[in-house]
Amino acid sequence: MAQTLVTEPFPISRIANRYLIFDVNIISHIRREHNICGVLIGTIPNLSQQNVFLGIPMQLMPEETRLLVEHGHAYIVEDADAHKTGFMEMSREDRLAFLRQMDKQGVEMALDAKRRAADKQEKVLKEKGLERKIQEKNLRRTDITPNPATGETSVGPSDEKSLSDSMPPSPTVGSARGQKVAPYFITPTTSHPPLPTPPLSPAAELPKVPHTYPLFRHLQSKGYFSTPGLRFGCHYTAYPGDPLRFHSHFLATGLDWDEEFELLDIVGGGRLGTGVKKAYLIGGEDPEAKASGKEDGSDPVRAFSIEWAGL
Amino acid sequence: MADYDENLSHLRGPSAADIDLDDETQDFRFLSNLPTHDVKDLTLPKRGDKDFESHATSLQLSTLEASRQAMHNALSWPRIHTQKTHLLATYHPESNMAYVKKAKTQHFQTLGHFKAGKNWLLPEEALFMIERGSMDCRWPVQVEEGRTDIIVYDGQEENERGVPMSLQGAYAAFIGFEGGVGGKLTLEMYTVYAGLKRAGFIVFRAGDWDDERLPIQYNEQDARDGDKVKSGNWAFGFVAEIWRRLSRKETEVPADRLKCGPLLGSGLYRSYADIYRLLQVIPTRDRNAPPELILPPDCSNPFRITFDVYKTAGAGKFKKSTRGPPDYRIAVVNARETPVPTMAQLNDLLATTPYDPPNPNGNLYQKLRHGSRNVILAVVDNGIPSYIRVGDTPFTDEKLYKRLGRGPPRGKKSGRGRGRGRGG
Repeated sequence: MAQTLVTEPFPISRIANRYLIFDVNIISHIRREHNICGVLIGTIPNLSQQNVFLGIPMQLMPEETRLLVEHGHAYIVEDADAHKTGFMEMSREDRLAFLRQMDKQGVEMALDAKRRAADKQEKVLKEKGLERKIQEKNLRRTDITPNPATGETSVGPSDEKSLSDSMPPSPTVGSARGQKVAPYFITPTTSHPPLPTPPLSPAAELPKVPHTYPLFRHLQSKGYFSTPGLRFGCHYTAYPGDPLRFHSHFLATGLDWDEEFELLDIVGGGRLGTGVKKAYLIGGEDPEAKASGKEDGSDPVRAFSIEWAGL
Repeated sequence: MADYDENLSHLRGPSAADIDLDDETQDFRFLSNLPTHDVKDLTLPKRGDKDFESHATSLQLSTLEASRQAMHNALSWPRIHTQKTHLLATYHPESNMAYVKKAKTQHFQTLGHFKAGKNWLLPEEALFMIERGSMDCRWPVQVEEGRTDIIVYDGQEENERGVPMSLQGAYAAFIGFEGGVGGKLTLEMYTVYAGLKRAGFIVFRAGDWDDERLPIQYNEQDARDGDKVKSGNWAFGFVAEIWRRLSRKETEVPADRLKCGPLLGSGLYRSYADIYRLLQVIPTRDRNAPPELILPPDCSNPFRITFDVYKTAGAGKFKKSTRGPPDYRIAVVNARETPVPTMAQLNDLLATTPYDPPNPNGNLYQKLRHGSRNVILAVVDNGIPSYIRVGDTPFTDEKLYKRLGRGPPRGKKSGRGRGRGRGG
């Protein structure tokens, strides 16, 4: 499957103050281009009895969202508002048009599934050496399968008819054509279409981020991927590359520049990190360097990694 | 284990049993071997081999590319409903719920409630059903004046169908519109709900989330004693009671001696137990007394039991109307907004769980771990839940001095100590 190009800036949905992405192309895009991997929190259909592989939507940390917005890659959309106006007040014409479109897709999918089932059956029969049965099958199949051209023309009139009656299309439009396929119903993943791509609103405020944001930004600028780190008792687990391929290197904890902390935290973090083959990392932003660094472009964040030497 | 790192544990990989597949991102290439729509005999993949360093080889790059492609494909799987499995639901904006008229799947044994001819689904139930691809939810149809929304489908009169709700629309509605109806379901709660459902548990809301707090559960001492006599041998209980009365000597240290000692007066002691009992000067809470340190009822208390969770064992007999006490009680906490609970908050939370003493014949450590009341905190950090079990452990109920002389000596026959050796 070819990658679909994503045009920047792309929308990020804000739902109840959480940041979510529903478009699979954007999910792949930010992984490749911006080393941001978010957290997949959704259930993959057909794989709904396991927690190892999760799917759409992807939840972004406020830090990740802010970084994408600050750099102009993305903008935030209030999804609840968009859906309230878009669907709750949808006009009858738009609704019928969208339903027809979904129905058409459903017929195509049903036909596709049928074709694949037939192919599979043919293959099995061939393996068993039952050529004669295939021929019988083929004879019957030519009766059923419409060639694409006639399929097209028969969609036309039925559409016309439902338009003139201003009735929604019947779900059994397939059987009316004598094809013996009932259209599948589809639950789309995103709401675009039928909703228009939401307009860019630069006035929207940036997401609120915790005081660990400078460390996150620093790691990200060095090419690290970060995921939420509560499971390892830190703020972020930092990966040297895509977590699909690499083990994480650091358990990163963000601190303020002059913040006092317990020496025992280093022992705890260091031991935990070493135990799971990672290094404990602390870092913070120097406010003075930040002020002066604006001119020379240097990074005001410093980070230290701590590892048990195991001597 | 104390000597864990002396083993240079970091040079070895963790043992297979320690690996939690959920802990790290898994390689989606395992999924690409599966046919898209036929995953009936699916087994979970083993942990993949990942790299520690980037070495910019073509092999590594192409493997990564393959993983990304597999992930992209898996995430693109469509949610389709055939005519046979089509479960039609309609969104109800006034309550932020969805209803189903014809419930024709097994799912309704463990979710929804039936009211006025319709099966009503709570927001989390509806969202999960849509997300797993088992339900086709439609936006409600705005009926214009002078028109009827009744229409004929397949020769049956039905309400006109709305536009299918996309997954994005479902999140926007069931999570995003929630603020309009009281804002009880948060994304964190839904994440925990969906995770538990995927793991096969049966999950219900604890209480109806409208009350300020769940009822305090008092420990009914009488009922417990009654059970004891019934379950044990009556004669044995009687003798034990007499023995307990005979052997009880002075259990209280007089106040003046508590002040300047000695704790043990001169006298004749027949057993060490009497002496230890006198040495115990730190008062402990009586677990049969009503819970103390309870906070005033407050809707905004972040620590309250969110879900009642049932194991699936015997799910065939599970009845949602009479479901009995849950196996686990889970309180969902947002790691980014809620600090570590205070003593009073924990006490308050535990007071709403029932008194649940451990099996008295169990192993000491099991009993201590079980506690007399317990609750599971699901702490969600941006979509990743961690489950922490909090128990109220009655240490003073497990008298170590009473264990002496019971059973075989340690380490010989009992098999304890086998697990020690050179650290996990």
